[in-house]
Amino acid sequence: MKRREFLGRAAASGAVLTMPAFLSGCGVQQATAVAGKTPENPFMEWFGVDQATTARVMSELSANGADAADLYFQHSRTNYLVLEDGIVSSASSTIEQGVGLRVVVGEQTGYAFTEDLTLPSMLAAAKTAAAIASGNTVVAPQAFNAKGAGDLYKTSVPWSDVGIDQKLPLMKFVESQAKSMDEAVEKVAVYWADQDERVMIATLDGKLVTDHRPMTRVTVTVTARRGEEVQSGFSNIAAREEFGWYTEERLNTMVKEAVDRTMVLFDARRPPAGEMPVILASGASGILLHEAIGHGMEADFNRKGTSIYSDMIGKKVAEPFVTVVDQATIPRERGALNYDDEGNKAGRTVLVEDGILKSYLHDNISAKQYGLQPTGSGRRESYKYAPMPRMSCTFMEDGPHTRDEIIAAVDRGIICETYTNGQVQIGAGDYTFYVKNGWLVENGKVTAPIKDVNIIGNGPESLKRITMVANDARLDTGGWTCGKNGQSVPVSQGIPSVLVSKMTVGGENVS
Amino acid sequence: MSVDLKARAAQAVELAGQAGAEDAWSTVTQSRDVQFEYRDGNLEKVKDTTSQSLGIRIYAGGRYSSHSTTDLDPERLQDFISEAVAITAALEPDEYRRITPEALFRDRPAADLDLVDTSVQALEREQRIAWCQALDETAHQHEQVISATCGVYDGTQRSASASSNGFLDEQRSTYCWFGASVTLRDQGDKRAEDGFYAGGAHVADLPDPEAVGKEALARTVSRLGSEKGPTVKTSMVVDARAAASLISRLLGPANARSVQQDRSFWTPLIGEQAFSKNLTVVDDPLIVRGLASRRYDSEGISARALPIVEDGVISNIYVDTYYGRKGDMTPTTGSPSNRIVRPGDLSLSELLSEVGEGVYVTSWLGGNADGTTGDFSLGLRGHLIENGEVGRPVGEMNVTGNLRDLFSRLELIGNDPYPYSSTLTPSLVFSDVDFSGA
Repeated sequence: MKRREFLGRAAASGAVLTMPAFLSGCGVQQATAVAGKTPENPFMEWFGVDQATTARVMSELSANGADAADLYFQHSRTNYLVLEDGIVSSASSTIEQGVGLRVVVGEQTGYAFTEDLTLPSMLAAAKTAAAIASGNTVVAPQAFNAKGAGDLYKTSVPWSDVGIDQKLPLMKFVESQAKSMDEAVEKVAVYWADQDERVMIATLDGKLVTDHRPMTRVTVTVTARRGEEVQSGFSNIAAREEFGWYTEERLNTMVKEAVDRTMVLFDARRPPAGEMPVILASGASGILLHEAIGHGMEADFNRKGTSIYSDMIGKKVAEPFVTVVDQATIPRERGALNYDDEGNKAGRTVLVEDGILKSYLHDNISAKQYGLQPTGSGRRESYKYAPMPRMSCTFMEDGPHTRDEIIAAVDRGIICETYTNGQVQIGAGDYTFYVKNGWLVENGKVTAPIKDVNIIGNGPESLKRITMVANDARLDTGGWTCGKNGQSVPVSQGIPSVLVSKMTVGGENVS
Repeated sequence: MSVDLKARAAQAVELAGQAGAEDAWSTVTQSRDVQFEYRDGNLEKVKDTTSQSLGIRIYAGGRYSSHSTTDLDPERLQDFISEAVAITAALEPDEYRRITPEALFRDRPAADLDLVDTSVQALEREQRIAWCQALDETAHQHEQVISATCGVYDGTQRSASASSNGFLDEQRSTYCWFGASVTLRDQGDKRAEDGFYAGGAHVADLPDPEAVGKEALARTVSRLGSEKGPTVKTSMVVDARAAASLISRLLGPANARSVQQDRSFWTPLIGEQAFSKNLTVVDDPLIVRGLASRRYDSEGISARALPIVEDGVISNIYVDTYYGRKGDMTPTTGSPSNRIVRPGDLSLSELLSEVGEGVYVTSWLGGNADGTTGDFSLGLRGHLIENGEVGRPVGEMNVTGNLRDLFSRLELIGNDPYPYSSTLTPSLVFSDVDFSGA
């Protein structure tokens, strides 16, 4: 349903960060499992896409002139399983295979893709993409310099070798643990996903990169009843990992979180509406960084002058104890990447160092315009899309305070603990995140649970208002997905406990 | 391009049968999508793609699974389907997982919904660029414009389905949209941003690109100087464009899956006076040239108009075959089509004048709702309503409440349904709404 997809896209403003859609109750495609025997380089083994073939397509792609060009071959297989009402009776699998072809001339991009990896079909797509260029400077593609895959998420057993018979007992275990934790738990659903993605990226200037990117996520949702009142909550864990990652302990932690988050909702209230100090608990509160600064630092917005951060590099934007980093090289993280989707080595970019705004996140196009090296931040959802600057794992480093000191410093405010989604307007700098669970803080003490409030702030203003940063930084293990211009990519985020001295909290009007 | 998709779908069903499936339902889709984007006087991006995929639902031994692939190589497709059947056998049996019964698709309408415009398929590069230029020029008519990106998006989609119990059909549609996103220099480092997009199935239904570019610019200009509004309980007027997403949130848990899984605040309200008597919502898939029109849904269920809420009473929810059987509900359709909110008599300016003081919401920023309880909290942008008129622009505010309570206080409805959404909603007026701001 491309058309509806577009409508959704046109209606959304800014960039969106979400947890999986199962909470919305609409017909998410759920699904399935097992062993497809995919070769390590399917492009070569199935289609004979060797270096000579790749070079032939690259020549066609750059035939009308090109400053840059790339081919993005992708084969991914995703398996889903659903447990509801005590049984696993739904599986699904999705194979996405194709090659995206991009040619860049000045600031102009031509893009095409084909799912048919035969030479005639690839040449036809190359011709279509090349139509944007009208130059007659013929650029000879460079000889390929093949690079081996990196080692950030090597697995010993690919997901294609893990059968449903192995996954099923694990899902049943999650369900039984959730049911045994509280007698009010009425329904439990468990959603399983695993993926093997293989990419091969070839560029006009001779890069040839292959990568095997595993991914998995398990989600549990819990519905509990007390009398007439029903509440539901969830938790999930995700990583570029293999089957053995799912230890009993790891699953138990996830289940306990889900049950605790659900049961506390029976006693939770809305906080009073208005401006107040907001404490962001360590971990998932990294959503603040993603929305308040991360998106605004993506250089495509800045090269167009449309970000509120467009003229701020080198300026003081926060207290000296604030350092914010985007780093793709954290092993096995959901946002980790050996190479970005333009074939550049992914790395570590310091966005804010000791309170000073340092660097944007660049893809090839923006780096060229700024005269800088790309930061390895060019990412895309799939072969169907051209890459653009994106975040990977975004986090804040430890600061000088403790969590207890932060709580003690607040007279009347809230702590935010769990989130479902966030969004930002790049130009105005206004951003929001939705708090599912949190706590009231009164006179320096944690008092009552709160739920379901949106929080809104302005990026640069909030950075300035970070008055305390604790020493308990951690990355969240949840399966976050970032949406931008209609493309979704997996990301990670983290933060220590932080105090923002003033934000606008949704709630009830007391008067 | 004129591949016989129905034959492909039928062949996949046959392969599934040979591999041991008792029943199978296959859908093959093909689309061509073209995108031209223009920024600040220059063509920036051209994307031209043809895409295809095959999906299949397998029913074997009381078990079920579903699969899709973009790899249509005949040999690997055969392996893919055999494997799909093998996967199915590894699952647990479920008596409610059955193929769509023939009775639900036998009498599907044959009506011509006029969803295909051959002039979309015939669009030339020159026409798309001319539209981009017209949008670009009008969207730049302000001295504070930093950047404007204009785009033309058009394409053709085909989707054919075949099943082991006799379904065989194909639906086609075209679309053509264009519009602009504008960024203006505002106070300090701030930028004001907004945009406007229009489109439909037919080129002839498009407004003038100049009017669209102007509207995009006007909406952005109205954001200039926006400040945080007050923390207050007051009336809320939601403009028609923003109202569509509010209606979508309200209807989010109105489906059999959410009800059967105990995650819907609608459950105890079905058949009851749940909302204000001013609210009537009908799901109508049979609107000629409608943005989400169809003759049958993804399960093959015959399309028909379905009242969801009538004068505030819930009359139906979205029921697919699986959760319908499991939850003892008669299938209606599993997915929304065109959702129409019954309009009222007053224009937007009359609504504002009736309200006198309050907040006029023009768009949302983030936020969410809990489908189990109906509790919601949303970020917003808009204007204060002062003396019955649109006043100064405000943002960085939240509105918080419960969807059932909110729609119980739906006081007035406008006569201005927003045409460029499959949720056709006029402006809505609510009383006693909790806003948080400064």
